[in-house]
Amino acid sequence: MSVNPDYLKEEREQEWRVVLRSQKKNKERTDLVRVHMTEVDPKIRVQSNIEVNQGLSEDDAVNEAQRCLDCPNPTCITGCPVEINIPKFIKNIERREFLEAAKVLKQTSTLPAVCGRVCPQEKQCEAQCFYTLKLKKEPVAIGYLERFAADYEQKSGKMAVPEVAPAKGIKIAIIGSGPAGLTFAGEMCKRGYDVWVFEALHEIGGVLKYGIPEFRLPNSIVDVEIDILKKMGVHFETNFVVGKTATIDDLKDEGFKGFFVGSGAGLPRFMNIPGENYIGILSSNEYLTRINLMDAANPNTDTPIISGKNVAVIGGGNTAMDSVRTAKRLGAERAMIIYRRSIEEMPARVEEIKHAQEEGIEFINLANPLEYYADEKGRVKQMKVQRMELGEPDSSGRRRPVPVEGSEYLIDVDTVVVSVGVSPNPLIPSSLPDLKMTRWQTIEVDDDKLQSSIPYIFAGGDIVRGGATVILAMGDGRKAAASMDNYIQNISK
Amino acid sequence: MNLNTTYLGIPVKSPIIVGSCGLTSTAESIIELANNGAGAIVLKSIFEEEIILDFEKNVLPKVGPMDNDLEFFDYYDYQIKDEVLHKYQSLIADVKKSVDIPVIASINCISNGEWVSYAKKLEEAGADGLELNIFKLPFDIKKSSEEIEHSYIAIIERIIEKISIPLAVKISPYFTNLGEFVKRLSLSGVAGIVLFNRYYSIDFDINNEEVISGGVFSGDKDYEMPLRWISIMNQKSNCELIASTGVHTSDNVIKMLLAGAGSVQVVSALYKEGSSYLKKMNSGIKEWMSSKGYETIDSFKGNMSQTTADKPEIYERVQFMRYFSDHKH
Amino acid sequence: MNKIVKKEFFSENVVRLVIEAPRIAKARKAGHFVIIKCGETGERIPLTIAAADKDKGTIDLVIQRVGVTSRKITELEEGDYITDLVGPLGQATHVEKVGTVLACGGGVGVAPLLPIVEAMKMAGNRVVTILAARSKDLIILEDQMRQFSDELIIMTDDGSYGQKGLVTDGMESVIKNEKVDLSVVIGPAVMMKYASMVTKKYDIPTMASLNTIMVDGTGMCGACRVTVGGKVKFVCVDGPEFDAHQVDFDEMLLRLSGYKDIEKEAENKYISNKCKSR
Repeated sequence: MSVNPDYLKEEREQEWRVVLRSQKKNKERTDLVRVHMTEVDPKIRVQSNIEVNQGLSEDDAVNEAQRCLDCPNPTCITGCPVEINIPKFIKNIERREFLEAAKVLKQTSTLPAVCGRVCPQEKQCEAQCFYTLKLKKEPVAIGYLERFAADYEQKSGKMAVPEVAPAKGIKIAIIGSGPAGLTFAGEMCKRGYDVWVFEALHEIGGVLKYGIPEFRLPNSIVDVEIDILKKMGVHFETNFVVGKTATIDDLKDEGFKGFFVGSGAGLPRFMNIPGENYIGILSSNEYLTRINLMDAANPNTDTPIISGKNVAVIGGGNTAMDSVRTAKRLGAERAMIIYRRSIEEMPARVEEIKHAQEEGIEFINLANPLEYYADEKGRVKQMKVQRMELGEPDSSGRRRPVPVEGSEYLIDVDTVVVSVGVSPNPLIPSSLPDLKMTRWQTIEVDDDKLQSSIPYIFAGGDIVRGGATVILAMGDGRKAAASMDNYIQNISK
Repeated sequence: MNLNTTYLGIPVKSPIIVGSCGLTSTAESIIELANNGAGAIVLKSIFEEEIILDFEKNVLPKVGPMDNDLEFFDYYDYQIKDEVLHKYQSLIADVKKSVDIPVIASINCISNGEWVSYAKKLEEAGADGLELNIFKLPFDIKKSSEEIEHSYIAIIERIIEKISIPLAVKISPYFTNLGEFVKRLSLSGVAGIVLFNRYYSIDFDINNEEVISGGVFSGDKDYEMPLRWISIMNQKSNCELIASTGVHTSDNVIKMLLAGAGSVQVVSALYKEGSSYLKKMNSGIKEWMSSKGYETIDSFKGNMSQTTADKPEIYERVQFMRYFSDHKH
Repeated sequence: MNKIVKKEFFSENVVRLVIEAPRIAKARKAGHFVIIKCGETGERIPLTIAAADKDKGTIDLVIQRVGVTSRKITELEEGDYITDLVGPLGQATHVEKVGTVLACGGGVGVAPLLPIVEAMKMAGNRVVTILAARSKDLIILEDQMRQFSDELIIMTDDGSYGQKGLVTDGMESVIKNEKVDLSVVIGPAVMMKYASMVTKKYDIPTMASLNTIMVDGTGMCGACRVTVGGKVKFVCVDGPEFDAHQVDFDEMLLRLSGYKDIEKEAENKYISNKCKSR
């Protein structure tokens, strides 16, 4: 699937865009300096869950939009998994048609306010921006602008409910209400299907709710997007584990014609080193779920949380950053990242690492835990860490960490959050013995169609990719919707 | 008459131990080896290096464009280790159910990281002993010989702390002062030292000017190196010495026992001749013993070691002078 | 939201709730559990299903008051609604005809044992059941158990009912009298630990149903992890039943104590707030 160049050209030649382009010389545009996102002061923000990035003002957004050259060949779009018409929405911001800009986003992205906050734009659209590629300058802040337009629409109270095609009367089931499932739901609903989303937890949103913390993505932002889906006619069933509460076969008997599995990455991985089951050592999933989904840090809720004074988070991904910054907010005196490679190799978004550093997170890089020690009550009190050095680059070009002999030392800890990745959720596959799986226990799908070995089952997001970003999951949801639509039209011919 | 001896302190009925190799990787072939009279078997090793390679060759390329899947694969090597370990644990459990000879687990490691803790898991799975093959390549020109030797001792000490089954360490001959190092190793708490392991060797194809694999199997004369060192180190080390490399015939086994080895590891000969060759080797030893009037292995073990020899200096000759004067064709 | 259609006190602190949950009632098998959450600010806790009525579309849960959450649940009345209920979760009990099954339940562990005893009996096994508790008033589900057991033995610590002694004493006497082919033990972790030590001594295959801390119940959080045969398992997706002889009960006991202090504090606060508001 790729954007039709003729369509882009046609759009670009619309009068208002031609006029807009002529209002400023390219030199004037490129001379402008990239906008700075207002952030809450680190000392203040670590005391609460306030969102770190405060968004752009209207004027800031318009100024930034002026930097965009409205290129004839907008390479930025190739960097976007859901192929947002980036120049079109940015130029709408430039001419202060903010709601129009949001509409452009909504054409291809179900959750623009989410993407504007959590996408690794520096690796995607912004990496493909003309400024980055040719001018070697800071790219247009596409992510900030996306967020601006989406927030503007949310705040305006004039949320556009996407148009929905006449009802086809065909029931479609979606398993999991995370970014892949929600996107798929939106896309299928637009096409006129009768869409049902089944969620195992008691809240809709998947990783957007239980995983990503409030200070990075407020739940209210997600809820607004979910409300739109509800208004479009998507049905949501919480507390429903497909494969357990009812199997796919049961649902087929109840009339569902197609299934989309977006059940995400479920099982947390551990390192299987001695002492890892002591009290106080938990997965990032458990830690973040207790805090984000169960609101455990709030004294008025029943879910308990133990978050200590010396918190070590193992790993270098976004989840690790979310966990360690959460620990800081829960009052840790020492909140540490322990990562076996160097900071350059970390999978986390650059912005998250930067924010973490500002907040006083200690980065203990080139270090790997070997063993945990507990007090007499079985509560973790120390960890033995081995220093690493970087050896030769491996096939991904990253340098392999090699242990340094005799470099072990102890760190005092009372909480350890293990954030070394997750394995795909086994609930669906285990209830479908015929479903083909990969070596990583992800569902095997056709790369283009996202169709599994069982033709009426499509899948996307982490259950297919293992562990990807929100935006890739959304891209999958979009792609799968198009191909399931095709599939259903073909079989009903 | 019997062939009773011990392997890492465990009583065995034959001094012939099947070394870690493809033949010791499945329960079926191990049962066959046991039925043919192996004294004990060393399971095919878990290779740390293999896991690293698998991770780098098969896993990391899966990291999607823009590093999107990096978080998933960043620590995936742990998952691979876990799977390998789990398979190995089931192999140990299966084999232990089917045979009554000692089953020795084997780890080939190149670092002293979390591998050490795996030793404990192999013990829990039922292994009778553990063989450690430390692949500190002597080619590392950044490390001094002292550092390399120290890392051996450090790994061994950490493992012994974790397990209660006997530990054997298999080493190469590439140490500056091999005798002193073997003695030091023998004091580190190991139950046995296996002399020596064979490194993968390379060769050149001069027509295509390519590097190719050298011989996979040991040669018929390769036993001479362990023979000399076992003879020298017998009674100078605090643990069992086990001969390995080039032990192809019952005569070789007898030589090793005479030198002072408690047992021998055999691999190449079994690949070439099949498992039933074990029977032949055992009976070869018995024939020789009866021709010499020995009832037990203990009665002749070490009889030809350096300490018991009339001319101990011969074991230490490094030049060929005497060879030319004494050796009779 | 699931409606409570019946509430019954087994004892002062043990309550049986019959809850409307048609899908769960239909899908559940012996050994399955549910996750229940009470109120918007409630905690998610696992409870094993004690019985179900497919036709009426209800399931039975037996709850013992031990903390804030279980208090809140037991304070609900007939006609009230459970905020969130999800299931059936976990792996169902492996049921087959093996010969004689010795089923041992301690405390409220008797509730999850009931469907297993029923299934074992239906599969054609001879079932000998031991119910154990501190005293007479804590023995529950005796009549239901008797219905599916060829023999029922009651053990109380204080001798106020049945025989005086621990569950292990009862087990020893059964095992000495007849050949037992399989044992099932469910109860507090300590009880399961010692009960499985008895069967290990006699080499009797034994399964235990573990009741660990859980958050989501679908494999996501890892709070429920236990070591079984040297390998880490998740009770929610791999269990809740495991080979009792392979379970590291000491580690499990330790992990169960993880939140004890906080929970006790929370419970005291809850009780005192309630008293104030009266």
